[in-house]
Amino acid sequence: MKKMNKWKRLVALGVSTMMVVSTAACGSGSGDSSKSDSTEKKDSKKGTTISFWNSFTGSDGDMLVELVDRYNKENEDGITVEMDISSDFDSQLSTAFAAGTGPTMMLSSSAYRFTYGDYMQDISDIFEKTDLNKEDFIQSYLDYCSEGDSLYFVPFQVVGYYMYWNKDLFEAAGLDPETPPTTWEEWQKDAEKITDESKNVYGSGISYDYPYQIAHMMQRQGGLAVTDGNGKWKANFKGNSGYADFLNMYKTMVDNGDNPLEADTDSMMSAGQIGITVGGPWVTAGLDTADVNYGIGLIPQGEAGDMNSVEVLGFSITTAASDEEKEAAYKFIEWWNSEDKEGSSPALEWSVANGFPAYTYSVQEKPAYKESEKLSVMSSANPDAPTDFIVDSSFPGINDVLNDVIPEMINSVAFGNASVDDALDKAQTAADKIVDEYNK
Amino acid sequence: MKKMMKYWNKPSRSAYLFLAPSVILLILFSVVPLIIAFGLSVFDVSITMDSANFIGLDNFIEAFHDSRFLNSLKVTAIFTGLEVPLQVLGALAVAALITKNNIKNKFFRAVYFLPVICSATAIGIMWKMILHSNIGFITAALQSMGLGKINFLNTPGLTIFVVSFISIWRSFGISAIIYVTAIQQVSASLYEAAEMDGAGKIRQFWHITAPSIRPTFWYILMTRFAGALQIFDIIYITTNGGPNYTTESTVTYIYSRAFSSRSSMGYASAMSVILFVIIMVITVLMYRKMNQEE
Repeated sequence: MKKMNKWKRLVALGVSTMMVVSTAACGSGSGDSSKSDSTEKKDSKKGTTISFWNSFTGSDGDMLVELVDRYNKENEDGITVEMDISSDFDSQLSTAFAAGTGPTMMLSSSAYRFTYGDYMQDISDIFEKTDLNKEDFIQSYLDYCSEGDSLYFVPFQVVGYYMYWNKDLFEAAGLDPETPPTTWEEWQKDAEKITDESKNVYGSGISYDYPYQIAHMMQRQGGLAVTDGNGKWKANFKGNSGYADFLNMYKTMVDNGDNPLEADTDSMMSAGQIGITVGGPWVTAGLDTADVNYGIGLIPQGEAGDMNSVEVLGFSITTAASDEEKEAAYKFIEWWNSEDKEGSSPALEWSVANGFPAYTYSVQEKPAYKESEKLSVMSSANPDAPTDFIVDSSFPGINDVLNDVIPEMINSVAFGNASVDDALDKAQTAADKIVDEYNK
Repeated sequence: MKKMMKYWNKPSRSAYLFLAPSVILLILFSVVPLIIAFGLSVFDVSITMDSANFIGLDNFIEAFHDSRFLNSLKVTAIFTGLEVPLQVLGALAVAALITKNNIKNKFFRAVYFLPVICSATAIGIMWKMILHSNIGFITAALQSMGLGKINFLNTPGLTIFVVSFISIWRSFGISAIIYVTAIQQVSASLYEAAEMDGAGKIRQFWHITAPSIRPTFWYILMTRFAGALQIFDIIYITTNGGPNYTTESTVTYIYSRAFSSRSSMGYASAMSVILFVIIMVITVLMYRKMNQEE
């Protein structure tokens, strides 16, 4: 009897521990998924219903919902697009693919082809099966979405990073508010003048916890972190004088109090307490809302020469889609890029409303686009400059570099754990490990 | 049908019907994932399960050579060391003050319980905003009081205390309410007798309340330990493991390895298994201690 009780206790203990630990096994995500099905669905018997997943949870997501609803109302093919916006898109997608399901269509960075390429369909026939004109698309952006002859994405949004400066703070520091820094030396000098400790104002706003921002700045000074070296990937951290310059500049500004040791610098920029920063087009939403008097320009170029690093987001169709669903998704993508009688298109509306540069020549030519000061600055980059972002655009390990190598490097410098040279050496070791995996 | 009803109507059998929903959920969402995690831990496999290569114990060997994993264990231990005693004893102290059923105490119970029903995301964002190094309300208030500019969320060595505080603030209400319920069950005659013998309030607490609620104390201690060792949400929202990985807990790191673009489900599962073993050992030790006392 005693033995029996002991076993019962052990079983009870085991079960309680399982309950406690299972969240770890399940990967207890905290992301909230907001489902936003289109409101007015057509008779599903007549047409095709396609699922459309993305991660546009911000204010641009509201606009996306409106546009999808408009398509559901207006299209005459009886197609219904059911959109699911999730803040935990990556987990949602990977678990769905693992379970053998997935959306018909999704909206993501073109780099997703490196992770989920096996679950994406080649959509290079979209230009034959629809009225979309391939020549209208800027080729370098299409290249971003392709692998050899296969096209995996139709561009939706081009995300570049830009320099933003607070004109009022420039003026208060005795600087010309219309003349932002054009070199990194000027950036540092201007930052020093703008900094006002008594008002909690910092001249420069570089976050130690924003690898995308850091990568855009680093590559202007030191070029790409991974390049193709005679058919094999090669990491370029160790001895990279451009990267060393960037890290030294950052460390000096932090030590001098001209740059905060802060993860969230966007909020400070919106609060009018940062002189100059770098960020994506979405930064303007916060600045406009806070009524900040700001300017927008291209990130200063450095030793590495002209760079127009961008990330291209696009529509893709997964292997979960049937031929009928794929065709319906093609029609939606065609609609997105087609002009109505007034010469407007969802692509143009999206670009103008959210401040993203266009990926087609026809949108770039539209008066509404040309009138936008922000968009004209964003489109003013040297068209011949390489568009690769931090690594060669064909290197599949971009996310590894962004999520593992760069954060460790900048953290160790920011918090004084390592000298700049040591940090670069460690980054080289970490990057070599990643590169070796892909060289296999 | 009647036969079936008759069969299940017996109290000894109908009990299983009541148990069934919980047991099914437990099996589906706890036991099965756990078994799968054990299985995955010996494979090199991504979350999409494209190709699984059996690699034996390599994932475990890698984990013990992974400085970030070892650091995450250290961070988790520090967090647990801070969170559990403060939570368990703090909640007990508060519970002792709000046990009587009067309006004032009911109000405070509601106040303390409020963060429990709020989402961790909302709480994380709120604290992140009010503790911001430059535009945070508390930071500004302390600065205006002449206490200098404290960078609560970006100072290695300090931020782990801040995160622990937020976690305690968020969940100590539930511990306090459980204590209150337990204290209220203690027979009033014991206190009356103690009072007649001249025992003061503090003495009554140590000699009557504390021994009477010992099972509740152990329950809270064990669940808080297990909860602290799995801390994820508050850290994920407030610091995401920073600055310089000084708040990166084991589960935060497991999550990043499992669900990041370079997903390594096998490796993440191996780390989960290690965490499981740690929690299991601690729970067994506590369980034994509790039984010895009983």
